[in-house]
Amino acid sequence: MSYDVLVVGGGIGGMESALKLADMGYRVLLAEKESSVGGKMILLSKVFPTLDCASCISTPKMAATVHHPRIRVATSSEVREVRRTENGRFRVRLHRRPTFVDQAACTGCRQCEMSCTVAVPDEFNAGLVSRRAAYIAFPQAVPKKAVIERQGSSPCAYACPAGIRSHGYVALVRAGRYEEAFRLVLESTPLVGTLGRACLAPCETECTRGRLEGPLPIRRLKRFIADTHYAAHPVPAPNGEAAAGAESLEGIAGDARCDPSRADRPGPLCPAPPSGKRVAVVGAGPAGLTAAWHLALRGHAVKVFEAHGEPGGMPRRAIPPYRLPKDVVARDIANLTALGVEIACGARVTDLETLRSEGFDAVLLATGTSVAARLNVEGSALPGVSTALELLAGVNDGSPPDLREKTVVVVGGGNVAIDAARSALRLGARDVRLVCLEARAEMPAHAWEVDEALAEGVRLHDSWGVRRILGEDRVTGVELRRCTAVFDETGRFSPAYDERTTERLAADQVIVAIGLVPETDHLAGTLRLNPNRTVAVDPGTLETSLPYVFAAGDVVSGPSTIPAACGQGRRAAWMIDRQLRGESLDPEVVDDRLPPVDKDAVLGRQKRYRRLEPLPEGKRLISPPRGFGELEPPLTADEAWRGAGRCLDCGVCSECHQCVRVCPAKAVTMDARGSEDEFEVGAVVVATGFTLFPADLKPQYGYGRFPNVITGMEMDRLLAPTRPYNSVLRPGDGKVPERIAYILCTGSRDRTVGNPLCSRFCCMYSIKQNQLIMGALPLADVTVYGMDIRAFSKGYDEFYEQARVMGASFVKGRVARVTETDNGNLVLHYEDVDRGGVLAKAEHDLVVLAVGVAPNPAARALFPAGELAVDDAAFVLEADEDLDPGRTSIEGVFVAGAASGAKDIPDSILHAGAAAIQAAAYVERVRGAT
Amino acid sequence: MSNGMRERREVIREEPWMGPRILEALAAGPRTVPELAAALGRPANEVMFWVMGLRKYGYLTEIREPGDDAFYRYRAVEREV
Repeated sequence: MSYDVLVVGGGIGGMESALKLADMGYRVLLAEKESSVGGKMILLSKVFPTLDCASCISTPKMAATVHHPRIRVATSSEVREVRRTENGRFRVRLHRRPTFVDQAACTGCRQCEMSCTVAVPDEFNAGLVSRRAAYIAFPQAVPKKAVIERQGSSPCAYACPAGIRSHGYVALVRAGRYEEAFRLVLESTPLVGTLGRACLAPCETECTRGRLEGPLPIRRLKRFIADTHYAAHPVPAPNGEAAAGAESLEGIAGDARCDPSRADRPGPLCPAPPSGKRVAVVGAGPAGLTAAWHLALRGHAVKVFEAHGEPGGMPRRAIPPYRLPKDVVARDIANLTALGVEIACGARVTDLETLRSEGFDAVLLATGTSVAARLNVEGSALPGVSTALELLAGVNDGSPPDLREKTVVVVGGGNVAIDAARSALRLGARDVRLVCLEARAEMPAHAWEVDEALAEGVRLHDSWGVRRILGEDRVTGVELRRCTAVFDETGRFSPAYDERTTERLAADQVIVAIGLVPETDHLAGTLRLNPNRTVAVDPGTLETSLPYVFAAGDVVSGPSTIPAACGQGRRAAWMIDRQLRGESLDPEVVDDRLPPVDKDAVLGRQKRYRRLEPLPEGKRLISPPRGFGELEPPLTADEAWRGAGRCLDCGVCSECHQCVRVCPAKAVTMDARGSEDEFEVGAVVVATGFTLFPADLKPQYGYGRFPNVITGMEMDRLLAPTRPYNSVLRPGDGKVPERIAYILCTGSRDRTVGNPLCSRFCCMYSIKQNQLIMGALPLADVTVYGMDIRAFSKGYDEFYEQARVMGASFVKGRVARVTETDNGNLVLHYEDVDRGGVLAKAEHDLVVLAVGVAPNPAARALFPAGELAVDDAAFVLEADEDLDPGRTSIEGVFVAGAASGAKDIPDSILHAGAAAIQAAAYVERVRGAT
Repeated sequence: MSNGMRERREVIREEPWMGPRILEALAAGPRTVPELAAALGRPANEVMFWVMGLRKYGYLTEIREPGDDAFYRYRAVEREV
């Protein structure tokens, strides 16, 4: 693709150059980094000296630019590199940022913005008010299309193996939208309450706030939204009694608009119309249940086969009730059954072919790791030796072993061992010892779980291995040997012992918790298995060696975590659905996550942070513990609100998907990605404009410390028709100001900040604002403090005189510093030259800093290092400002407008016209030469 | 008065968090920004961000003219859910 001219920057200068060139017949590519053209001019209230409305002048030019048949406008685009070629033309690399909104479909209705849960400073209102992560830049934006600021996946969400958008539900809780938060989790898994209690929360490990005071309570927030939803939608009655028990779809989704009959608008939780396909899911653990959920939502008839008496897998059988009450698991599962998923319990599947012959189009194997590994030492078959799984299953189904007054030794260092030890205490054991190979710091169990077990009275024997189990007819104790290393030098599990260091412990019961393995022997002739008895699958598609059989969860990965199993179930459902629809199995398109945002960059967005303490854990641990009641207290609404309020919005967009739901044009495309294109152009016009002097670099004026000290651009926004406030108000408290001061030359003509140059238009925009303020606030006094007034162009001096006549006061003298009074007023300490240079003070209730301009470093970055020459102030250097305006140090590259130095609007337009003519001449000259 | 202003980004980030509290406080009747600040126990310059954000998105609006104290009063806007 080639163009005659590339114009970089869509402000008034860039638009003028582009329009001039296009009108002359040249094809122009205009690249603008923002989502709208217009630059700074469109943000102004009025222009001087005519006091014409800036928007009224800008918008026709913006529309003309965007709709010109010979101009292609690339918004949200950045020129990454421009290289001159041998034939005098240029190669251009253009990066287009994804806007995550289909620009052709978007109608600019702002529904996405209204539903968005993330607030950030509105740069188009100089940061005086918020905008949303989904937004339209400003009311007159051209093109008037929404964009979503999405800098990457938030680390919490990226860390979730289940694919739950943690940042999204945190943002929804923060906004008090609990039902939407519940629904968002449902988009990933139906096990909301289970994960709210039993997830190991990798999201919290990755939470950026953890680098400040501590992570957010992300898991407990999930529990909060599950508890809140379930309290409003109680558990259906047992035995599938339709009248009392069948939960309505509205009950699941919390959204009356979810209408399954509307095939044209299937929301994430609206089941698709019946596909006519049947899927068998073998195993009702987290992987199987999550897969069943997604398959049912996609319109497939799903039947789950569970070998045990109750569905739920390990959360149901192996997690003790003090961590996960079983009614919560049951209520989670009711989400599925209400969708029509059939669950057959006590149904052990031994032959996959039978399922095929029964009419199932696909099978998902999700049987987990249901067999406990046993110790291979002397005495391990003695009565009194059992597995943690047997103990915990007994606890969960109401038939626990009698451990009252017994001495119990639990063998293992993982979370299951901890659960077994703490359960043994609750069953009345007199003494519970935990023996593990690892040193305490290396135990696979979470450190906090170990701490809690010790607090409840479990006694730890770390770095010990069991040599043998003692006893003749029954267990009497264990003999231990010192473990010196758990893994060999390659990292393989290979314990080494010091056989000379031993110890004996008495025991009435030995409970083994050294791992779990899958029960897959019956599949050996049907499916390809791995040496560790897990099912071999394609890791991306989860297909097994049989084309209609997929496998997911621990039966594939070995023992993992609940969210990891949920994530695999979700992936398997996605793949099965695609296979049933005859589509290709692409492992890359399961979710729309972006790479995680850099935590340093997140924290670098602010210079300082207010300390916000994490919520206390709230668990009351006693020794010995009594009963299996839930240990962790629920969050109150106030705690949930405060907990969620600490979120840093790392990715900016929270991925709460509210915009996806509400967009009437279905224009939100979260799977969009950026692109990089190369073009050839004949000439380049650099119209990157200027930046404003950062007012906080003059700390004596108090900007950033005193709320009622603002900049000239902020005042222009307050005066604009699309202003951020309802009137000209003090940002400190909303008061209508009565005595307003201007401090000229803030950052201009000031060697202390390295800028000796005059910014050329600060005097005039201050005078313009004086007149507008006196119109808007007739009772207000306006005083301008400065060295002099530079009113050099046509009509400018008259404009200045007009302000004086209207009542503006002008004080000749530099302001040395600004201090603040208790009521937010500001005292200016200044030198009054007209009164003989006396040092004076004056109190005002609002101070406006007339900040000057600074060069935009983006201009130089367009070209290979050093090619584009700049002047002493770092503006783009013109070869000869007077006789050859616009020509730069690179032949064929021209500069337009304020990129070459401070210019007011009329001068920028004139200069842009000159640059356009220069570019046209160059294009013709090169054409003629080739 | 300012007592160490917080960064705008941090204050604005709390808008979805504080918005419902402000609307709650306005349920009793229109209030000025300093009155809301006192009710919420937060600095007036921070409340200003949240009030103006709520105004921008149509959750509250000002009573037509400022009072004798030079402050506008804001009231919640009834919205269809």
